Amino acid sequence: MKIKEWLSRLPLWLYGCMLLPLLAFGLSKQVVSYFSFSDIPRIWTDEAMKDWELPNSNPEYSAQPVSEEFYYNLPERVIYKTYPVYHPDHEPEGYWEWLHELEAEIVLDESKLLTEEDYIKAGELLFDYPIDTLGAVISTKHVRNIDFYTATEMPLTPEGIMPFAQWVVAGKGKVYLGNLSCAMCHTRVMDDGSLLKGAQGNWPGDKAFAFALETDGASERAIQNITSFLFASPFAEGDPHGKLLATGKEAILEAYRAVPEGAFGRQGTSILFPPQAPNLIGVKDRKYLDHGGLGQHRNIEDMMRYISMNQALDFLNFYGDYNPIGLTKERLNSGEPIFFPGTYDRHSDAQLYALAKYIYSLSPPENPNKPSELSESGKIIFAEQGCVTCHTPPLFTNNKLTPTDGFEVPDAHYDKYDIFGISVGTDPGYTMKTRRGTGYYKVPSLLGLWYRGPFLHDASLANLEDLFDPARLKDDYVPTAFKPHDVKTKAVKGHEFGMELNEMDKKALIAYLLTL
Amino acid sequence: MDIGYLDIVVAPWGSLRKCCVRRENFNYLSGKIDFRSRLLILTLIFFLIVPFLLSAQSFKPENPIQFKIKNAGITVDGLISDWEVMVDFDPKKLTQSSIRGKANPESIQTGIKLRDKHLHGREYFHIEKFPFISLESKSFRSKGKNAFIGIFELQIRGVKRELEIPFTLSQTGKQQMFKGEFTIDRLDYGLGEKSLVLSDEVRVVVEF
Ligand code: HEC
Ligand code: HEC
Repeated sequence: MKIKEWLSRLPLWLYGCMLLPLLAFGLSKQVVSYFSFSDIPRIWTDEAMKDWELPNSNPEYSAQPVSEEFYYNLPERVIYKTYPVYHPDHEPEGYWEWLHELEAEIVLDESKLLTEEDYIKAGELLFDYPIDTLGAVISTKHVRNIDFYTATEMPLTPEGIMPFAQWVVAGKGKVYLGNLSCAMCHTRVMDDGSLLKGAQGNWPGDKAFAFALETDGASERAIQNITSFLFASPFAEGDPHGKLLATGKEAILEAYRAVPEGAFGRQGTSILFPPQAPNLIGVKDRKYLDHGGLGQHRNIEDMMRYISMNQALDFLNFYGDYNPIGLTKERLNSGEPIFFPGTYDRHSDAQLYALAKYIYSLSPPENPNKPSELSESGKIIFAEQGCVTCHTPPLFTNNKLTPTDGFEVPDAHYDKYDIFGISVGTDPGYTMKTRRGTGYYKVPSLLGLWYRGPFLHDASLANLEDLFDPARLKDDYVPTAFKPHDVKTKAVKGHEFGMELNEMDKKALIAYLLTL
Repeated sequence: MDIGYLDIVVAPWGSLRKCCVRRENFNYLSGKIDFRSRLLILTLIFFLIVPFLLSAQSFKPENPIQFKIKNAGITVDGLISDWEVMVDFDPKKLTQSSIRGKANPESIQTGIKLRDKHLHGREYFHIEKFPFISLESKSFRSKGKNAFIGIFELQIRGVKRELEIPFTLSQTGKQQMFKGEFTIDRLDYGLGEKSLVLSDEVRVVVEF
């Protein structure tokens, strides 16, 4: 598709938004960094990008990322000070006016980063820094509308702060709602209202997006386009996303609303098979990133690549000849900037390094579930039932990839990756029918189960009890968390471990799992 | 790490079903080759098979092969039930005696079905490629009354290793009962990989 044609197909609201970054920031700082810190790895090299990701389950459509040259020509992100977003009823008096009086303040100066602690601190700033002020998910008018909070059942802190988005002050009077900070999807408001950074987030993001599309009066065409940018994978068997688009506006909005807190239709995944938002606490020890293990994680550079790719350069990937936002290779490499959220600038290598150091430094809160007689007997059941083989202590994962039903492991993968050659039989949709799908599901770590949920890669089960409930295997089951928008009941298949235990043993097993 | 939990033991040839499969393939091939080669092949097979038929008869023991391995501190008991042995053993003629066994790893049972299936896979027995386990005696020596030590060659997953197996014989009339126990290191045979929870050692008990 020609870019002009592509642009003309964009929804108006998005189109209008494209000018905003210029208004907000002027042009981003160009590639000059203040100094070069020799330890900071250069991550996006053509060599490294070649085989860092696993192939797609449909290998001809494996992602081809932008080139090293393209990447390093993108301007680096400038990090401004941000301010919390309050529920309108809780906003301190005069706060809004005060924000508009402020000048922009640049809070991250890479030349001042020297020690490991400096990097971790900078990483926390970056973690909370939105990469988008174009309204990629929600915008000012939504968060200043009380209905937004009720429609989405938005979790709030006791102060009434909505911690998933921030105000960015880009200059006097220029107050923008920032989207897509890591905190948006990787922060959890706990039952007591405290915030746990890095935990499986509980941002009801797809409900929020549905609210935004609906109250903005987005047209059917606009909704189809944006949904296609995010999730289309026309090369997947049966093209489930193409079918979703064809069902029209209301059905698509329903599909967004069906995604529960704790899962999010990240670009390249799906709202039909939404990925659980992973817990980043402990991610340092995981060998594969994403539920399908798309990104290898052999060292900090891989983590930096992952962050950069997913914020959001994967929109520029080609999958065969297909590009999600309708670019051609000529257009991509024409030298003209591409105004799509997250794709016209990038984090600097030092920023990525800081982010990675910060998420590596995350540690779990103290577990209130202390070992008891019950949990100790659960520990033995955990070993007897063979859970240990896959969920091997001390990480409670063997860090391996299990093929999903219907995926034949290519011989070469046994030498290249860590394969545990047996399917646990869970829903293959995410890993067989999305841009990020690899044909595998990784064995997740069970650390921190007590502070998270819903469970399984598609967040289909709200409670650990549900995982061991044989009723879930039947077609008349109503999934307790994610349930596809177009069905009333659905079996949650697979992972049939520990299901035949008696009630007492299940209790003990769960008591043990909650101590991890 | 891995499911391991298990391991092994004794003896040659796959199940009957496997033989048939192999024969079918062969016929298919032979259809494409000329008569003389066919005759040659048939003759070869004749000489390969006949010695087997002539020597002691093989039989399927009642007791399965048993094994034990520690996984996360818990001992997992497993069985391999489809196996057969061929015994030609005379305590007075040890040099002429022989014991051979073959077991079908597909018949492994550890109490968890998915685990058994995983053990069939290429990280463990890789049964598609290695449809049987074999154990073949090389020599025997006596170790007191009714007690012997045999040097055997154990083959699992295409890896052959010699090992010493102490065993006992109890004889009632013509009926001989053998019992042997030994330990192997599963890693020697490429059964799974080093694991934090699964021990390397597998204790095997064979009785027939
Ligand atoms: C809009 C929501 C969203 C934002 C913003 C976001 N993430 Fe994620 N992140 C996800 C989801 C959803 C997944 C799971 C993706 C999958 O499995 O397909 C994920 C996966 C990850 C993973 C892989 C973890 C694992 O165990 O597999 C890492 C690491 C990560 N994100 C880090 C970050 C960082 C750092 C940022 C900020 C720079 C960030 N994310 C921003 C939603 C988000
Ligand atoms: C063969 C390997 C294997 C065995 C054995 C196994 N699991 Fe799992 N487990 C997995 C995989 C793979 C997943 C992810 C499946 C998915 O989401 O599609 C998983 C997911 C889970 C989850 C959900 C975690 C989350 O973050 O959502 C829990 C809890 C769990 N397993 C507990 C157990 C327990 C308890 C046992 C023993 C009774 C057990 N598992 C046995 C491989 C295994």
